[in-house]
Amino acid sequence: MRAPGRIVFEDVSKFYGEVLGVNKVSLDLPPGVTSLVGPNGSGKTTLMNLMTGLIRPSRGRVTILGLSHRDPEALFARVGYCTQFDSFPRRVTGRSFVEGWLQLHGAPRAHTSGLAAEALERVGMTEAADRRVAGYSKGMRQRVRLAQALSHRPEVLVLDEPLNGLDPMARAESLALFQALGREGLHVIVSSHILHEVDRVSDHVVLLSHGYVVAEGQIHGVRTEVTDHPMQILVRSPQPHLLASRLFAAPHVVEVKVHPDGNGLLVRTRDASAFHTLLNRTVLEAGIDLEAVAPADDDVNAVYQYLIGSETEAV
Amino acid sequence: MTVYKRSYRPYEGLLTSERWRFLVVARYGLQEVLESRLLVAFLVICCLPFLVEAGVVYVANTPSARVLLGIDGDAPSPMRREFFMGALSFQGMLAFLLTAWVGPVLVSPDLVNGALPLYLSRPLSRAEYVLGKASVLAVLLSAVTWVPGLLIFSLQAGLAGEGWLGANIRVAWAVFAGAGTWIAVLTLLGLALSAWIKWRLVASAALFAVFFGGTAFGEMWREVLRDPWGRLANLTYLIGLVWKDLFAIASTRPMAREMLDDRRGADLPVWAAWMGLAVACGLCLLVLNRRLQAREVAS
Repeated sequence: MRAPGRIVFEDVSKFYGEVLGVNKVSLDLPPGVTSLVGPNGSGKTTLMNLMTGLIRPSRGRVTILGLSHRDPEALFARVGYCTQFDSFPRRVTGRSFVEGWLQLHGAPRAHTSGLAAEALERVGMTEAADRRVAGYSKGMRQRVRLAQALSHRPEVLVLDEPLNGLDPMARAESLALFQALGREGLHVIVSSHILHEVDRVSDHVVLLSHGYVVAEGQIHGVRTEVTDHPMQILVRSPQPHLLASRLFAAPHVVEVKVHPDGNGLLVRTRDASAFHTLLNRTVLEAGIDLEAVAPADDDVNAVYQYLIGSETEAV
Repeated sequence: MTVYKRSYRPYEGLLTSERWRFLVVARYGLQEVLESRLLVAFLVICCLPFLVEAGVVYVANTPSARVLLGIDGDAPSPMRREFFMGALSFQGMLAFLLTAWVGPVLVSPDLVNGALPLYLSRPLSRAEYVLGKASVLAVLLSAVTWVPGLLIFSLQAGLAGEGWLGANIRVAWAVFAGAGTWIAVLTLLGLALSAWIKWRLVASAALFAVFFGGTAFGEMWREVLRDPWGRLANLTYLIGLVWKDLFAIASTRPMAREMLDDRRGADLPVWAAWMGLAVACGLCLLVLNRRLQAREVAS
């Protein structure tokens, strides 16, 4: 199967001798931001290495935009990889660092300065580009790494733990950049332990544990699939006690708590759809004012905690 | 789906030839090692013996210079093959020191810093990566071995007049092939130790240990067991045998002291020397193949 615009894993397994990397992974990733989430050893880096053509699957098939590792020149031209390394050659400047990697990609010298300048501008490093990397802050080094991955204008950008060690400002800027690239049509693959942040920018989430994909899809879809796990919903209302007494009668509602500020409820339900129907009916019948309804745990962390439990190192 | 507009345009410009892409690795590697002023100074020192040799060649071929220096007319003849082999032996020693200096910093920083996946996620194979790094050492070692060796040969050929070049063309080949063989052994050994040992000083010490330990082992084996085959561990001896064969020098006299032993059976056959060096290179390639992996196995 050729999927020109997608990253496709077909029943892929990778073993390092007797060590399991990933097992029976089937994915079909569209453009946009995809987050790979899992604890250490869950297979995130193996999936990234498979996507970047650094390793070949023991079983199954990986195609990146319709290309396989059998066509490395074409594949590597479309993929940009930003690993976790944080050490640079002495005396190298941000610009020369990016230009060097561009030449390895095969960009002629006449084009490298233009492409490097474009990538450095994209990550907001134009002004500091001619300074030595040794004098950069952690966030600047991260942005230069990102620039080298972006500089040859790949269609797939694979970022291994790109938010590690960044201060909140640099983190927010990086996330905004990932989101912008995703919206332009790039595949941006991000692995991270900063769950609530990748949740915010992700179009697609892949949850991994022990080399297996335990859940995959849009975060709301993943959450809905976990039907036997009670979902928490926040209901904002000035009459929380009245509303609570009505809602608690329904069999799918397993817990109702008055919000600490006294202006709402936190409801746990096993059937979100039925709950929303019940809520509509209740507020109409009882004349209760309703200010807002929102999922209270519909984020990656909640799903992840539920699926993987105590293993998680999520923050 | 939050892809609003597919405005992104991948690079569709020209690409350089894949065949020569390893030269980017070589160029950057060379640039980095030559940033050390101490290394540049050492390279200059390595060239001094050749100035002396050039002077010897000039004097030997210029009667007026010999008279001026008060040297007898029957001066040492630099056109003899032993002269060129002696020069190569001395430069070979300097090449070894250069390898001990530069070799350890070529691969280990990339491994320590996790940069290998960055190289290999580009259109560059592991073999090309090794070729690029090996080129750094090969260029430096060439600059102190066969390049000046052939310059001396050319000077001699020019000064000696007609007939000498035709009669001694084998010497030029011997200088080139002998130095090339030594460069291949040193380069692979330097890269393998750099890939195996991440600390620069320890890697340099290991290179010395391989040569001096091998020499000690081989000679002890020969003395104790009266058997020359232990000398297969003595890389210095092996390259000496190869050079003698290339220069077609029958006598062992110009070789180092341990090679002066002319007892029957003390020397290995030349084919064994070639095989010994080939096995050493093969082992280095195995180490490189094992150590240079793009992947990181999550524990």
